[in-house]
Amino acid sequence: MTPIKIVGVEKRFGDLFALSDIHLDIAEGEFFTLLGPSGCGKTTLLRTIAGFYRQDKGDIYLGEELINDVPAYRRNTGMVFQNYAVFPHMTVFENVAYGLKVRKLPAKDIEEKVMNALKSVHLTGYETRTPDKLSGGQQQRVGLARAMAIEPRVLLFDEPLSNLDAKLRVEMREEIRAVQKALGITAVYVTHDQEEALVISDRIAVVNFGKIQQVGVPWEIYKNPVNLFVATFVGKINSMEVQFGTAGKDGLRQASSGPISFSVPSSGTEGLDSAILAFRPEDVVETSKSSSENRLAGTLLSTAFLGSVASLELDVKGRMVVIDRHRPKRSDIPQVGETVEFAIPSEACLLFNKESGARLGGGTAK
Amino acid sequence: MRGEAKKMDIWTLVTIAGFAIVIVFLIYPLFDVFKFSFEDKETGVASMANWKEFLSRAYYLRAFNHSMIVALLTTFFSALLGIPLAFFTTRYRIRGSNLLSTLSVLALLSPPFIGAYSWITMLGRNGFLRNMFLTIGVKLPQIYGPLGIILADTLQYYPFISLMTAGALMTIDRSLEEASENLGARSFGTFFTVTLPLVLPSLTGGALIVFMMSLSNFGTPMIIGGNYLVLPTLAYNLFTSEVSERPGMASTVSIVLMLCASVIIIFQQWASNRRKYASMLVNRPIVKQLKGMKSFLAYLVCYSIVALSTLPLAVIVFYSFRNTNGPVFTNGFGLDSYRQIFFDVPKTVANSFVYSFIAVVLIASIGTLIGFVIARKKDWAVKTLDPLLMIPYMVPGTVIGIGFIVAFNRKPIYLAGTATIIVLTYFIRRLPYSVRSSASILKQIDPALEEAGINLGSPPGRTFRTVTLPLMQSGIISGAIMSWVTSMNELSASILLYVGKTMTMPIKIYLSVVDGYFGTASAMSTILLVVTGIAVFVVNKYFKRGNDTFIGA
Repeated sequence: MTPIKIVGVEKRFGDLFALSDIHLDIAEGEFFTLLGPSGCGKTTLLRTIAGFYRQDKGDIYLGEELINDVPAYRRNTGMVFQNYAVFPHMTVFENVAYGLKVRKLPAKDIEEKVMNALKSVHLTGYETRTPDKLSGGQQQRVGLARAMAIEPRVLLFDEPLSNLDAKLRVEMREEIRAVQKALGITAVYVTHDQEEALVISDRIAVVNFGKIQQVGVPWEIYKNPVNLFVATFVGKINSMEVQFGTAGKDGLRQASSGPISFSVPSSGTEGLDSAILAFRPEDVVETSKSSSENRLAGTLLSTAFLGSVASLELDVKGRMVVIDRHRPKRSDIPQVGETVEFAIPSEACLLFNKESGARLGGGTAK
Repeated sequence: MRGEAKKMDIWTLVTIAGFAIVIVFLIYPLFDVFKFSFEDKETGVASMANWKEFLSRAYYLRAFNHSMIVALLTTFFSALLGIPLAFFTTRYRIRGSNLLSTLSVLALLSPPFIGAYSWITMLGRNGFLRNMFLTIGVKLPQIYGPLGIILADTLQYYPFISLMTAGALMTIDRSLEEASENLGARSFGTFFTVTLPLVLPSLTGGALIVFMMSLSNFGTPMIIGGNYLVLPTLAYNLFTSEVSERPGMASTVSIVLMLCASVIIIFQQWASNRRKYASMLVNRPIVKQLKGMKSFLAYLVCYSIVALSTLPLAVIVFYSFRNTNGPVFTNGFGLDSYRQIFFDVPKTVANSFVYSFIAVVLIASIGTLIGFVIARKKDWAVKTLDPLLMIPYMVPGTVIGIGFIVAFNRKPIYLAGTATIIVLTYFIRRLPYSVRSSASILKQIDPALEEAGINLGSPPGRTFRTVTLPLMQSGIISGAIMSWVTSMNELSASILLYVGKTMTMPIKIYLSVVDGYFGTASAMSTILLVVTGIAVFVVNKYFKRGNDTFIGA
């Protein structure tokens, strides 16, 4: 039940800025995710919190305590590793008991705590197994039980599910979330999987190039990205460069990409004559349901059937556009080469500065 | 962690100790070898006289040529035996292939001159095989000289090539060869375009080790070489000859030997660095069942090669049970020779065991600690220490011996005639292997395991003890056993350093052979062979270590 406060942290490896000017306030009991592509610095930040790296600048507080110079083994942070890091020469019981033995607890307490931890990860009965007899998912449960057993101030997860297969990943992330909520421990979770981040987190920090791009609840990150990087990294999005025309009425403005013309919100576009326009495939509506805003037509290049959604790839006057059809019926799916009509509501159009990628006139997400 | 490092932790101490060992026991003695080579013996003035003499006199240049001829031909013939053996035993079902590889490992690890001396008993002046052939009218060529050296060396060292090539062949993913056939290559073409290029780095690595071993081998050319001098025997003679002791010239020859060895080692490193691509193994290669004539031929080739290399060992064991009268073998069998050993020279046997044991305790403990530093710490000090520890790979035993005599025969470190100096030669010659092997074991242990220990509240020292060390244990013990075997069989350095009371078994065997006491030599060699055999068995059986452990030896 410890909040984490990170103030102006910077970490360099040689000339490379792995982290620059990181400020975060993670509330007690919060499930906080660091999301970003590989090499973005998210793992570096987690390892700096754990004490495996020492930051070059800035401060890290666990609760009220400044931990900059506290060695890793005294930080009392329970870490769950990407490749499990279950001790192969110890049984499941010994693995979970390891941190408790270091803390010189009486044998009876150790046994009780180990059993509780194993119970909460559904591994009761596996005490005497050795790790080589466990599946990947079970090994990661041991890793989680071992980290929980020491009753750490915070739990740290370093891409704990990336080595598991897809189905198990979904199961495990729900378990991790449930266990964390039940214990009420603050958790910092590192992942590159945006879907996982959206599902599991209370709040997400999107990280790229060693910098925090955006912090927010999952809904906000997805629906209201502050820049083009966040918009493209989280979820799918179509984007193209547009030239602005004259401002029209109702806060709308004309924008065109070659022969295609859009009507987009004008706020934030003042003084600019071009920008990046982006819209998500699922925000596209069928023309029959639409008022008539931003009607477009394209030639179908290919379709991908994903169960609940069919994803259509279209050539719209020389530009590639992907749109979704929800709950598709077989008869709804056009043939390759046919013309498909669709419309993009103007409020679904996100605009970004061409140079900086910053969002123009944000905050209008539906 | 950084906060910790400000204090002097155990790993800083280990690094400092590593430097101290390298400086005192390698650089200091080798510096003396250099100094001797470049100064006038009488006046102590810097001089190139030794080098001028080496380069101008046929006597010295001939030894250089001899060394090259022997090493090259040994490498060639080792490849000739090793490659088919490796290919047949890994790709075709050959019954008893485990036995075959164990026997070839035994030949590889046997004392370095047993082969030579065994071939003398078979094909020497009065050898029984030679006499047998004479009775049927066939006169075999003289075994003394280059022929004998190359024969004995090849039959001892070919396993380097067969084991390393077999190791590479077994780790080629089946799908690579299947991909080649799927793309239209015939199996013959697949062998030359996919299989061979993939094993070539390992094969080259093995061949270079053979070259190196043959180049620096002292015992074999000393016993079977006759007047055919090679660099190590030349250096030994120059150093010990009572008539005209020439330490300066011996040093010069040593340096030439070291230069050759360094070139080989650099090639070998280069080859083994290129070995990286055989590592992703998903599908094991197929082992084919051969039928009829093909099967017969494969069996014939494999078993003949191994039988030939086991023959000298078997002959030794056989002779050790023959009755003797002084140097002469008499009729009948008995334990005379063993009795002689245990009554006449029990101290020699005890010395070998005690010295090797002490050396191994030092090698394993210090080697493991330095190995950890090299695998896990990456500061400038460690980066300097790592290549310095390669020196013993390049320095033949004879040269270490000469360096030690010169350097530790005066203040401040006076060790001449002590047991300590023998133990130290074992230690320094074998330490780098232990460092390498523990560093490579560590590279296979995920650093995340140590981080997990630390994260759970265990300080670095305790984490090393409770997490890292138990995981390294079997590797350390099997490495220690191999170090022990090679120390038991060490001859080339200790022969220069022993005195009567510090004599060891290999030295005694050598002296017995020179004096013609073949019975004693056979019995002692048999003891060494049994010890070696047990060690190989233990490593195989209890530590489930592959043949790599032996190749590192």
